[in-house]
Amino acid sequence: MTGYTSWRLPVYAALGAVGLVAGLALGRVEPVAPAAPFLLALVAAVAEQEPEVSVRASLDRDRVIEGDEVTATIELFSARGADRLELLVQIPRELSVEGETARAVRLRPDEERTVELKLRCDHWGVFSVGQVLFRARDTLGFRSWEGGAGEARPLRVFPREETLRSLIAPLETQVFAGNQVSRARGEGIEFADLREWQPGDRLRRVNWRATALRGSLWVNEQNPERNTDVVLFLDTFAEVRAEGRSTNDRAVRAAATLARIYLQRKDRVGLVGFGGFLSWLVPASGMRQLYAIVETLLTTEVVHSFALRGVDVLPPRTLPPKALVLAITPLLDNRTAAALLDLRARGYDLIVVEVSPVELVAPEPGSSLELAHRLWRLSREALRWRYEQVGVPVVTWREGEPLAAPIEEVNAFRHLARPA
Amino acid sequence: MLADALVRAPSPVVAFVPGLALGALLLVVALVFGGRGLGAALFLAGATYVAAVAAAGGGADASAPLVAVLLLLCGELTAWSLDERLEIQAEPALTRRRAGAITTLGLSGLGVAALVVALSAAGPNHGLGWTVLGAAAAVAAAGTGIWVAHR
Repeated sequence: MTGYTSWRLPVYAALGAVGLVAGLALGRVEPVAPAAPFLLALVAAVAEQEPEVSVRASLDRDRVIEGDEVTATIELFSARGADRLELLVQIPRELSVEGETARAVRLRPDEERTVELKLRCDHWGVFSVGQVLFRARDTLGFRSWEGGAGEARPLRVFPREETLRSLIAPLETQVFAGNQVSRARGEGIEFADLREWQPGDRLRRVNWRATALRGSLWVNEQNPERNTDVVLFLDTFAEVRAEGRSTNDRAVRAAATLARIYLQRKDRVGLVGFGGFLSWLVPASGMRQLYAIVETLLTTEVVHSFALRGVDVLPPRTLPPKALVLAITPLLDNRTAAALLDLRARGYDLIVVEVSPVELVAPEPGSSLELAHRLWRLSREALRWRYEQVGVPVVTWREGEPLAAPIEEVNAFRHLARPA
Repeated sequence: MLADALVRAPSPVVAFVPGLALGALLLVVALVFGGRGLGAALFLAGATYVAAVAAAGGGADASAPLVAVLLLLCGELTAWSLDERLEIQAEPALTRRRAGAITTLGLSGLGVAALVVALSAAGPNHGLGWTVLGAAAAVAAAGTGIWVAHR
């Protein structure tokens, strides 16, 4: 521990010395009498001993969901005791504390005490929590000893998920079994069509009613249940952040939600973080893939870059053929727009979920920024129109809306318009 | 301090006013800027008191211990006020303990200052008892100094 003295001690020492010298010089007791209490305080301050304090900090959980509470427990012990022990737990600004972050307690000799802090996880991410700064002081605060304790431990706060009742069905399915009804004909549950019997057809597939009507053997055809490949394409080139809200936060929440639900359906899900820092996960299925995706999303951040970047830089296995590409983007960067149009040109089933930044940058009515805001919105409309021209549905996810709204909008679009 | 100076030396009071005003200003500065200037403010107040007593003349001033304690309390309460500005959630017992410690320090200071004033009233050559007491006090002061230096 490092020891410090209060600014009062030199002042009191100087006043005491000046009083004594003045008393000797003047030959009077009046300068000495005011000096006496200051010298007494000086002696009382120096009499204090350095307390030996032991501080340990721990968290009750290291993985939580956004909005949950974590309890940080700080265990204190001192053999000599401490008149006043001040504690400060270093907490990232994404976490908030019930009450003050700094606490002051008294430790009697050989006393063990526990201080609990309720941390509310307001934002997803990976944070280091557990380091404690402490300061032991004497009662009057003449002397203090400062130190640090505790190891920084990672606290993973997973993004809060949205509620979704339905998902976007891909146009094409893969060859493995899953929950998605394929357009192809084969072994399955869903009835697709009737056709004439061919050698090799099983007897159980014969439709006896149709056979009786037409005089020859007819069999049922079914749509098989297959899995699909879904690639979540997260745009991390740019974001809009205002008052603690950002487009990237919502994009990550949407990606985590979609990944979990698609993986529950036995689909293979991959991830592409397309921005200043490129990251990807090859499509796979299962709980392990869900953890891999969420861990990757937790470290997602917007890194500003001026490098020209296209989809060519991605490994081919990241974007398998017939995959549904769900782009979650605020449509702020032209490089993402170009990359998505390139994907569409390569024949991918592309859907753009626009995380709307418009609500975050609304200018004050009557201000000169209104015109610029209108021009910016028009340029966004033009970009959406470009996507729609090549058959890519663009749905806007506005602040305060559930994610289900744009998803349902895509499904409605697909019922009405079949992309080429 | 100003009232004390007015009572003791009405004629040269004008000479004390600038010093006291500066002392008061420094005290405000100390409260606003985290204790800076508090030493100068206390020094000015003490110097004004000593100057007023010296100007008035006469024997030892009986109110000197009270002045001493008020000066000490001025410093301690300023420091407490500055400490309370920190956003620290403290146990209520800590506040009571600090109030008790300041009271104890103040009363002890009052006793020591009164003892100093009382002992100064004893004239020279008052016998062996006083000489022994003075020697014991000198040894105690030196011992305290050595003890403090060793810690």
